Parts: sequence; C-alpha cells; structure tokens
Amino acid sequence: MFDLKGYGWMLWEGLAMTLTVGACALLLAVVMGLLGAWGKLARNPAARLAASTYTTVIRGIPELLLLLIVFYGTPTLLQKLAETMGHDIRVDFNAFTAGVMTLGFIYGAFATEVFRGAFLAVPRGQVEAAYACGMSRALAFRRVMLPQIWRFALPGLGNVWMVLIKATALVSVIQLDDLMRKSFIAMGVTKLPFDFFFVAAMMYLGITAVSMIGQQQIERWANRGVQRA
Amino acid sequence: MDTQVIIDSFPALLDGLWLTVEITVYALLIGFCLATAVAMMRVSRNILLRAPVIAYIFFFRGTPLLVQIFLIYYGSGQFRAELTQIGLWHLFREPYFCALLTLVLNTGAYSAEIFRGAIQAVPHGEVEAARACGMSGWLLYRRIILPKAMRLALPAYSNEVIQLFQSTSLVSIITLMDLTGVARTIVARTFDVYEIYITAGLLYLAVTYGVLWVFRLVEHRLSGHLREREDPAAAVRDALRARA
Amino acid sequence: MALAAEAVARNPALVARDIHKAFGSVEVLKGVSLTAQEGDVIAMLGASGSGKSTFLRCINLLEIPNSGEVLVGGELIAMTKNRRGETVPADSKQVDRIRSRLGMVFQSFNLWSHMTVLQNVIEAPIHVLKKSRAEVLEVAHATLEKVGLADRADYYPAHLSGGQQQRAAIARALAMEPDVMLFDEPTSALDPELVGEVLRVMRQLADEGRTMIVVTHEIGFAREVSSDVIFLHEGRIEVQGPPDAMFGNPDSERFRQFLASNLTT
Ligand SMILES: Nc1ncnc2c1ncn2[C@@H]1O[C@H](COP(=O)(O)OP(=O)(O)O)[C@@H](O)[C@H]1O
Ligand SMILES: [Mg+2]
Repeated sequence: MFDLKGYGWMLWEGLAMTLTVGACALLLAVVMGLLGAWGKLARNPAARLAASTYTTVIRGIPELLLLLIVFYGTPTLLQKLAETMGHDIRVDFNAFTAGVMTLGFIYGAFATEVFRGAFLAVPRGQVEAAYACGMSRALAFRRVMLPQIWRFALPGLGNVWMVLIKATALVSVIQLDDLMRKSFIAMGVTKLPFDFFFVAAMMYLGITAVSMIGQQQIERWANRGVQRA
Repeated sequence: MDTQVIIDSFPALLDGLWLTVEITVYALLIGFCLATAVAMMRVSRNILLRAPVIAYIFFFRGTPLLVQIFLIYYGSGQFRAELTQIGLWHLFREPYFCALLTLVLNTGAYSAEIFRGAIQAVPHGEVEAARACGMSGWLLYRRIILPKAMRLALPAYSNEVIQLFQSTSLVSIITLMDLTGVARTIVARTFDVYEIYITAGLLYLAVTYGVLWVFRLVEHRLSGHLREREDPAAAVRDALRARA
Repeated sequence: MALAAEAVARNPALVARDIHKAFGSVEVLKGVSLTAQEGDVIAMLGASGSGKSTFLRCINLLEIPNSGEVLVGGELIAMTKNRRGETVPADSKQVDRIRSRLGMVFQSFNLWSHMTVLQNVIEAPIHVLKKSRAEVLEVAHATLEKVGLADRADYYPAHLSGGQQQRAAIARALAMEPDVMLFDEPTSALDPELVGEVLRVMRQLADEGRTMIVVTHEIGFAREVSSDVIFLHEGRIEVQGPPDAMFGNPDSERFRQFLASNLTT
C-alpha cells in the first residue's frame, strides 16, 4: 500500500519497544494499583490519605507533564539527596526507566480504582467466614481475597491496558525509540510524514483491535466463574 | 525550592494556561457539535450513514492523540502542492490550526461514543410517547431525545472535558506555547525543573478540579431527586471506560 | 497438676456475660448472657431483628460488643479501650486463636467460591492450625463423608445445591475440630426440600455430644435436639428453659405468640 523505502523494519522495531514499555508499565501499574487499593481500603487514616492524594494528583495533571517531571526531576532529586549525604554523584536516568515509571505510576492510579472495586466485589461473607475460622486479616487477604479479585479486576485492567498502550506514544518525547519516534526518524529521512504516521497509526489500531478481542475473551472468562452450572 | 523563580515565571505560565483553556474551549464547542451529528449518524439505521462514522470513531479512539497530531501537522506537508491548490495550505501550515483540528476530531470521536450510549439509553417508552404525539425526525431529536440524552451523558462527558483539557498539553510538542509549552521553555532556560513543572501541575490540578466541581453542581441541579449516591471511584472508572 | 486439669475440665465450654451492642444509637443487645456446658445444644429463637445474629457474631468477635465478657473454655477474651474510648480486642492474636476454636456456620454459607469443597475444608486447618497436609486431608475426607459430600469434594461451590453448600460449610467448620459450633439460621436460605438434609447432619453432630449454639426457626429441631432453649426479644432474653418446659407450657405470652405464628407458617 505504501512505499516505505525500506524503513518499514524501523517501525517494527519501534512497535516492539512500544509493546515492551507498555507491558512493563502495566506490570508496575498493577503493583501500584494493589498498593493504592490497599491504602484506600485501609483502616489507617494516613494510608487512606496517601492513596487518595495519589489518585487525585495523578488524575489532575497531564501525563506529558508528569513524564517531564519524572524524567528531568528524578536525577536532580537523587543528586540533591546524595549531596545532602555528602556524596557527589551524577545520575543518568535512562528514558526507558523514566517512561515505564511514569506510565506505571499514572496508570497505577487508574488500577487503584479497578482493584478497589474488585476488593469490594468479593462477597463480605466469605471474608467473615475466613475471620470466623481464625484467619488474621493478612491471611484472609492473601488466601481469600487476593485469589478472587482477579476475576473482578481483569476486565478493568484490560481497559487500563488499552488506554496505557496509547499513552506510550508520549515516551518518544523523552527520546525513547518507540513506534512514534521511529516513525519520526523515518519521516525525517524519507520526507514522507503522512505515510509513516499513517502506518504507525494502523499499528496502534492493530494493537487496539487485538486488545479488544482479548478483552472480550477475558470478560467471558471472568463471567464464567460466576455463572452457575 | 526557589520561590523567586515561581513568582518571576508565574505571569508567563498564566499566559500559557490561557492558551490551554482557549484551545480546550474551542475544541469542546466545535467537537460537541461534531459529536452530536456523528452520534446521530452512529445510531441511524442507514448503513451508509453508520459505516463511515464507525470507522471514524474507531480510528480516533484506537490511536494515540500524538500520532493524530503528527499525522495532521507533519502529514499534511506531504500534500502541500494539493493543499496549496485548493487554498488550504496556509491553514495546515499553522500549528494552532492543526492542533485545534486534531483535538476537535479526537474529542468528537470520544464524545460521539458517549452520546451514542446516552441516546440508546433514552427509555424507549418516552420516545414512543413522543411519536404517539406526532413527533418525528429532527423535532423528536431536538425536543425529546437529545435533551434527555445530554442529561444521561453529563457524568461521562464531564470526564471527557477534563481529559481533553489535559490532552491539550500535547500541543506543546508542535511548538505551541500552552501551559506545558511555556513550562518546558522556562525549564530549558533556567533548569528549575521542580519549581516550574510543579507550579504548572498545580495550575492544571486547580482547573481540573474546578471544572469537575462545576459539573458536579450542574449534575446536581439537573438530576434532582434522581440523584445517584456519590461514588468518587465511579468517576475514574467512567473515565477509563470512556478512553479505552 | 491433676487438680488444675480437673478445674479446667469443669469450665463451661462457652460463657457470654451481659453482652451489650449498639449500632449507632440503636441498641440491639441489651445485656444477653448464656452459658453452654460441654455437650449442650442451645437453641436460640426470636423474631427477625431481635438480635440473634448479632449475639452470635459478638461471641466470635465478628461484631465487637460494647460491653460484656466472652469466655471460651474458661479463657476470657481480653478487651481494652482504644483512644476514642471504643471497646476493642486487646490482642488480635488471641481473637484469631479463640475463633479457630469456635466453628461458625452462616445463613448464606459463605463458602470461598474460588476453592473446591475440599480446598474449603482443608484451608483453615492447614493455614491457621498449621497442621500437616496429610493429616488434614484424612480428617477432611472423613468429615465430607460424614456430611454426605464425599463424592462432591472436587466441586466448586457454584456447582452445588444450597443444601450441599451448607453441608460443605458445616464440614469446613467441623474440620477445625472446634470446641463450640455456632449456627446462624443454617437452613433459612434453603428451599424447603433441602432443609431436611442439613438438619440431619446437625442432629448427628448433636448426638455426638458436640457443643452447639443454634439460631433457628425450625421449632421441631429445637424441640427434639436442644438441651436448652433461649427466646430473644428486642435484645433481651425474654424466657429460657429446657425444651420440654418451654414448648409444653411456656410462661411467656410473647413466646406463646411467637410459637403460634411460627408453627402456622
Ligand atoms: N452492621 C449493622 N449495622 C446497623 N444495624 C445492624 C447491623 N447489624 C444488625 N443491625 C440491626 O440490629 C438488629 C438486630 O439484627 P440481627 O442480629 O441480625 O437480628 P436477627 O438475627 O435476630 O434477625 C436489626 O434491627 C438490624 O437492623
Ligand atoms: Mg439473623
């Protein structure tokens, strides 16, 4: 359809990087989400405050700005910290880590709500039954709640993934060689901006389409466990 | 923290915020009209009306906003000769125009999907009652379906509004001096990463929650006794569902 | 030593003393006491909302009583006041330990839906009592045999009838080898034709000499199986006594009315 002048391979490389960043960020988001949900549901008021500050702040600030803060801010922060402890270090923050960290933190806030809902969806009686057997809060959480929340959380996490993978395009701004940046580079050489960005768009669309199918499968799976035979 | 830096750069940041708000408002106004039309086509029984808008919605909801901006801003350059011929090149040469066009098309697609859901959620009985009164076509839409649908759409639409407001930060990538653009420029000069970016972040935060608060108020007014119980988490879930 | 052991043996299995509980400003329990000797089967009757469930849940601290004492096998559950002046358990470890000695069967079964019947039964003995898996499996299979679910061990709760689920829940409680079993309307959520199979299992447990507190609306079961009957009315014990006296010639007009309305329905 398009003559990419032999630069098509660059886009495939970029796609691989996009998917890698996306997958790593999703993993971090899941961890952050579990922590956040735990905080939101904790009895400790400090934990609750921390968790809701986290989601409030993330929700109110653009992703691009957060990315810039993490990418340019963290090295300075670490250097200043080291300085106060009497060390003189140079921190080089690589773009991959910054991208994954930022996206993971941002989407961790969304995952927090997903997990919060999932925890609340586990029938209260099952948790009480666990307590009634003498399980501690921690044990009941680990053995009764944690295995069950996935059923409720997976569809929501599917949504997180689909928003997140589009947001990975931003990491090109901090010079990470994802699909967007590779397209940009290829455009510079070939002077065919439309062709390259269109093909890139089609690749993102492909990810979205595949994810949507996966999402349907997940939802079917999630509902199957609940239905009676 | 160097407060002097913040004070010095605050006027510039406010200028940037002004552009951010301006471009958001324009995109919202035009995007709203576009979305209403698209949503009506989307629920039409005529496949010739429906198919193109399904493709449009799928494309703009399924790809990153950044790729859309680049496609229009840089991509148009590939058709410079043609665009010059039909007298549109001077528009596509402008980052402001390209940014606005992209944001309109983007929010148009997301909002259309919200409105479609709302239109389909209007109780069938109320539509039938209107038909029984002799209403049809545009009259039926204007008097019954759309007012009702807009009320149903309001919570999800308020999320779209703040999403769009934050998305505008991407226009800084094509050199516009919005709030993020101004902040980046100042940081490039002074290296005061925290002071500037955090001030900018707080400005975004303030406007976001200000807008949300206004929407809450409007929802409160409109829904009266039909009000649902307050659930802050629901807002975030809706936002997610809407952007996915 | 011998003396001490004897003293322990003579402790009642369960004592609840003057339990008070309010939800907000609503006083649900206004001083309820109960003593269960080993082997007692105490039936608790009362209209809906009279506080039966709340009382049972206060015994194993699923609700924290505002005041009152609970002793299990002579061991007092230590309570203390927190900073806001609310009564709270002093030692959550003790609570967990006491709870593991009290088996609870809920009205709505509350089986863990992500585990098979067998996994439900072995879960707490392995993870709370820290028994060896082999030992627990042996007990579990025997228990499932007893409640008539040997052939359903590998089923998930969602794939069982209500009666089977409740019997599985009883097996889960039994596998902990509890000193006292608490039943909160175990048959109320069941279709009428499934009630019998659960009551049969409970009768068998009573015959084995287990100590049981049973909240129920099954008057027949209370009359035939229990050693003591308590009638709760608006958070107080209205009348209490052995089943013969209670059902033969109750000296409470309220209880008489309760029986009349319950027998006809
Ligand atoms: N968690 C709770 N919060 C507020 N009120 C409650 C709670 N649990 C029970 N109640 C109230 O306490 C009263 C007694 O309830 P319950 O012990 O369940 O009665 P029973 O089991 O005898 O039907 C009822 O009026 C009920 O509404
Ligand atoms: Mg009850």
